[in-house]
Amino acid sequence: MRKNLKFEIIRGAASILLALAVAMIFIFIISDVPFEALYNLIIGPFTKLRYLWLILERMIPIVFTGLGVCVMFQANQFNLAGEGTLFFGGLVAAAVAIYLPMPPVLHIIVCIVIASVVAAAAMLIPALLKTKLGASEMVSSLMLNYILLQLGVYILNWHMADRTQGATMSHLFQDTARIPTLVPRTNLSWGIIIALAMTALVALFMYRTKWGYAIRMVGQNQSFAKYSGIKVAGTIVLCQVIGGLLSGMGGAVEVLGYYDRFKWRQLPGYGWDGVTIAILAKNNPVFIPFAAFFMSYLKQGCNLMQTYTDVPAEMLSIIQAVIFLFFAAEQFLSKYRQKLVVKGAKEELAEKKAEGGQKGAEA
Amino acid sequence: MLNQLIGIIFSETFVFSIFRITTPILFAALAAVIAERAGVTNIGLEGIMMISALTGVIFSAKLQSAWLGLLFAILLGVLTALMIGFFALKLKTDIILAGIAVNMLGNGGTIFVMFLVSGDRGYSANLASKVMPAINIPILQNIPILGKILSGHNILTYFAFICVLLVWILLYKTPMGLQIRAVGESPNAADSVGVSVNRIKYIALGLSGALAGMGGAFMSMGYMSSFNTNMTAGRGFIALAAEAMGRAEPVGTMLTSLLFGFADALANNMQSLGLPQELVAMTPYVFTVVGLAIYAASTLKKNRKKLE
Repeated sequence: MRKNLKFEIIRGAASILLALAVAMIFIFIISDVPFEALYNLIIGPFTKLRYLWLILERMIPIVFTGLGVCVMFQANQFNLAGEGTLFFGGLVAAAVAIYLPMPPVLHIIVCIVIASVVAAAAMLIPALLKTKLGASEMVSSLMLNYILLQLGVYILNWHMADRTQGATMSHLFQDTARIPTLVPRTNLSWGIIIALAMTALVALFMYRTKWGYAIRMVGQNQSFAKYSGIKVAGTIVLCQVIGGLLSGMGGAVEVLGYYDRFKWRQLPGYGWDGVTIAILAKNNPVFIPFAAFFMSYLKQGCNLMQTYTDVPAEMLSIIQAVIFLFFAAEQFLSKYRQKLVVKGAKEELAEKKAEGGQKGAEA
Repeated sequence: MLNQLIGIIFSETFVFSIFRITTPILFAALAAVIAERAGVTNIGLEGIMMISALTGVIFSAKLQSAWLGLLFAILLGVLTALMIGFFALKLKTDIILAGIAVNMLGNGGTIFVMFLVSGDRGYSANLASKVMPAINIPILQNIPILGKILSGHNILTYFAFICVLLVWILLYKTPMGLQIRAVGESPNAADSVGVSVNRIKYIALGLSGALAGMGGAFMSMGYMSSFNTNMTAGRGFIALAAEAMGRAEPVGTMLTSLLFGFADALANNMQSLGLPQELVAMTPYVFTVVGLAIYAASTLKKNRKKLE
């Protein structure tokens, strides 16, 4: 077991190094100042305290979507609507923040709860289509992303837009609904605390409750789960609803913590980032904050690289794709694992032999 | 309004636009058919289309030839699909995840490359790219209504519909097609009679990449005349839905692709009737979900009847 963990860590590190090597090749080909670019990419994010706050701040939404993906992927449900539900959750939270006056703190809670519930309800569409009719949750969830985006932009444009502003955006949120900042003079809000608290909750849910157990069982062996009395259909619906709940909550926390108006007119991409970090975390909620920190660090590095050198920040998607591919590759370095296992077995045998020899000598 | 709508639907330009709009979806849906029949789900179609769309624009501009642009677009499509194959078949990455990674590349990687080549981020304004030619079909173009509907399309539009026939012949009339179907239906059985399962899967993925590549090339060298970020707008995903509803049969998939083309064309026209643009843009996706549900429900019923 410990050997396995050691191997996973080595393999993860190898994937990351490989991705950075690919990035390096690109940088040396395209950049006139390759060393400066590399410095900004890798060391840059650690050079100023301000960058650390930025990294933490950009972590918030992807922790939520990452957790949501964890729960759904653990049950083998390839639901990819984290993107759309996060967007729509943000919009719903904004609407409540603008139009429903309420006392402080309570207002934030109500915004987040309503946004989560609406997003969870949206996830019922792919979930029920899957369990009732057997339609692929993957295709319908992908369609759901576009539906929620267009519906959201319609609501923003036709019912929530502040016409006094130059660009399309909503009215200002009421102050009571805005999530206060955690570190003065930064944009880092209490959202990060909410994100970490949700991580703990989801971990407890997945590993300490019967529902979490059911979700994991359905993912590992659906037939076994069915014959041991787990309600498979209900579990499949449950995990997707929770996935929607989490990403909707992420949208609400992001919008209320970072903005003063709702401004999204495109899908912000946090849903796909969530898939990436769920893969990095091997679908284990406990590792999600670390994976999110890493992604956010890479993003910050790419931004610095673009600001100070001639390499565009979209380099990120190449690094991300390479890490993603190798992390998810079961056979990557499998020969090395084979060696580790053989070596371990040989050592064990040698030990036993030595023990046996000793016993023989004693006798 | 209803009269207006009926007027639009029965106009020549509307029917013409259905074929135009269906083209990229049909290419991608046929790509999905071949992959699915070999038992590999290619969800990277969206990314492949984006990569090929950009490749076509860059190479047609640099080499000043639309045909060479198309050739490179197809080549890159094949290579990208084979990369999915390498990770999925050799390194055992879940094929859906490998597809997602390719979609990431298609999304951000294309912006990265376009910026390097042209200095632009949004769309390829600085690239003097070429467009595939439109074809007027002799005799047919002079027939009153039919001429206006069926003649004058982009050459790739015709080829997309020819591909339906080609894919059908490949799957049902060639030894290769038999092997593809065998591998998709029962890899163990195929293996036991000496078919190299992985080789067939690679071939199917490669063909799928070529078709999706043509769909991508059509987007930037026919449907439009430049490359925009995010220009495929989920067509690769819609194609997966079309393939699912068409039961992975070439002809059935063509019909469902046309259905999506019809919905999309209708949506474009509803905008001119003064409906909100966002809701109009939403309709093809809603339509897809509804179509998927109806299809799934009908198969469910059939299976139940079979059991009884």
